[in-house]
Amino acid sequence: MPNAIDTDIAASGSFERPRPAALIGIVVISLFAIVAIFADLIAPYDHASQQRTQPSAPVSRIRFIDDSGSFRPRPFFYPQRLADPLFLVYEEDRTRPIPLSLFVRGDRYPFLGLFETDLHLFGSVGTEVRFNLLGTDALGRDRFSRLVQGIRFSLIVAPLGVLLAGLLGVVIGTISGYAARWLDAGLMGVADAMLSLPTLVLILAARAAFPLELPPLSAGMLLVMIFAVVGWAEMARLTRGLVRTLQTREYVLAAHSIGLSPARILFRHILPNAAGPIMTQATLMLPAFLLAEVSLSFLGVGLQEPIPSLGNMLAAAGDISQLSRQPFLLLSPAIAIFLFVMAVRLAARGSER
Amino acid sequence: MTIFFANQFAIGKNSRGIRARPLCLRSPVLKFIFRKLVQGILLVVIVSAAVFLLLSAAGGDALSGLRENPQVSAETVERLRVYYALDRPVGERYLRWAADAARGDLGESINFRTPVASMVGSRLLETLKLSAVTLLLALGVSLLFSFLIIRTRSRALDRLAEAFVLVFASTPVIVTSLVVLATVAAASTFAAAGSIIFSAVALAPPFIGLFLAQTKRGFEEAMRENFVQLARSKGLSETAVIIRHAARAAINPLITLLGLSIGALVSGSVIVETVLGRQGIGSLTVAAVRSRDVPLVMGIVLIVSIAVWLGNTIGEFLQMANDRRLFDAERN
Repeated sequence: MPNAIDTDIAASGSFERPRPAALIGIVVISLFAIVAIFADLIAPYDHASQQRTQPSAPVSRIRFIDDSGSFRPRPFFYPQRLADPLFLVYEEDRTRPIPLSLFVRGDRYPFLGLFETDLHLFGSVGTEVRFNLLGTDALGRDRFSRLVQGIRFSLIVAPLGVLLAGLLGVVIGTISGYAARWLDAGLMGVADAMLSLPTLVLILAARAAFPLELPPLSAGMLLVMIFAVVGWAEMARLTRGLVRTLQTREYVLAAHSIGLSPARILFRHILPNAAGPIMTQATLMLPAFLLAEVSLSFLGVGLQEPIPSLGNMLAAAGDISQLSRQPFLLLSPAIAIFLFVMAVRLAARGSER
Repeated sequence: MTIFFANQFAIGKNSRGIRARPLCLRSPVLKFIFRKLVQGILLVVIVSAAVFLLLSAAGGDALSGLRENPQVSAETVERLRVYYALDRPVGERYLRWAADAARGDLGESINFRTPVASMVGSRLLETLKLSAVTLLLALGVSLLFSFLIIRTRSRALDRLAEAFVLVFASTPVIVTSLVVLATVAAASTFAAAGSIIFSAVALAPPFIGLFLAQTKRGFEEAMRENFVQLARSKGLSETAVIIRHAARAAINPLITLLGLSIGALVSGSVIVETVLGRQGIGSLTVAAVRSRDVPLVMGIVLIVSIAVWLGNTIGEFLQMANDRRLFDAERN
């Protein structure tokens, strides 16, 4: 809120221990970050590999007690067999319990881009039968693996967009904070206009300028660029308010009076003191950019198959017959989105006080 | 929004700290209208020019698909290019488009072969209906809730409202609309999926979160004001104090918020209308982008930015009408 910032920002600079709610938010965000970083390890299978005999399979249930009623210390599951291909009814093959294990061998992947390995956090042992924690999608791909990878791709695009848009906003805001009155009014007028326009329509209009089908890397880059062009305004307003206020602080005036160069004052005295609110604002921009990516991928003009993203996974929920049969599985990316957005709000609310 | 950029609404004006002056409505009102008009024209020109430039700079057009079709000869494509004036330089095309647009002619959609203006107009009407119902729903819920909190002074209700704000504000429209779709699918009443009530329920949660936070704070501040004490001391019932006296002050910031919501509503309608299969400006945008229909995209951007500007202006004006001190601020 520009007004609140104009009056006082120095008060928010003091260090406080985060409140419990904020702590929960930070923990959840960290969990998402861990999932994104170690996605290949956590996902038991390759996100693109299909099992055509297992379309839309339900969840493989983890069991400890077998049919004879005896307890097994090692968890196991029963393989699913497609009993009715028309209505996609599955039944469990009770004769073949398959043990589960931690750290199993599976598809090869480059670990953090450093070295190649085939280690996965968990999976079935010694068989081709897959353990589908969240069932499979219509092409028989493991939904849990796709969800984990989807979180990774979505969480790469959103923070990059925030970084670029935030940088653009800080630069424009700083210019506006120093500029003559007409330029300041002009820049902030444009920022206000950007804020009031329907962001998604603008993003879509900009997206229409480029070919619909793009390879994943360039699609990701394109989204980041569009988000930056559309999303800088809030950050610019905030930075401009901060710069204007800080210019009148005693220590900045003192720095002026001892003859420090304007650049030094800006980088050593003004921007460091503006960093707190700017970081909070950047955190708050994260859900917005994540949702922009999700919306575009959902509409089929963002990240595209076979690369999973939270958005294009949700597109499968448009199939009403599947949705009514397995609502929670199909909406699992939506649950992930909800948790992430809520965590960011909790964390940001805690740091605002 | 927070459907999209979370603090879109954070531009509200603070009514405090403005010196009371004798009322002199005429010139500030005119000045306000003039300023908003200039702002609006600049906005429309800049946005349309930027989108037009982007659409033409990127290369490829609605005819790209036609070019790959073996049944369509190169001459036909060339003739169509000339027909749609796609062979002219960008500047000329934009000026031609702007001149036509000023006369109310937005050209013809390449994909739908119908005039853009009538198509966008009728679709926008549908979305505005949806927006109106959504706003009524969100306003009703948040005003009722805030009233109950203030009237009963219940800590538990207050906590509940805080939780509502957090949950509703963090529920993206894409999530709610899919949940509504899943519910409708479970009840297998597909016909109802696109109904205005279901769509409004899907679109409302972020606005409920936003409005509830605002009305709650507004009422809390208003209840501390002197005029509320005065009303109480006159012996009015607490309900009358809240409804007749506190409410007017409490809803003042809400009026601008309503005006500013138009943009977020249109953004949200893109998702809701696509998921629930409604025919509105949002689903039209998606169709236009998918077919890369430049005249249609331009028409949508133009009409939507005008609608948003109009909404903001009306919201700001109504707020000033409700709190005339704000007109004085305009003079400085």
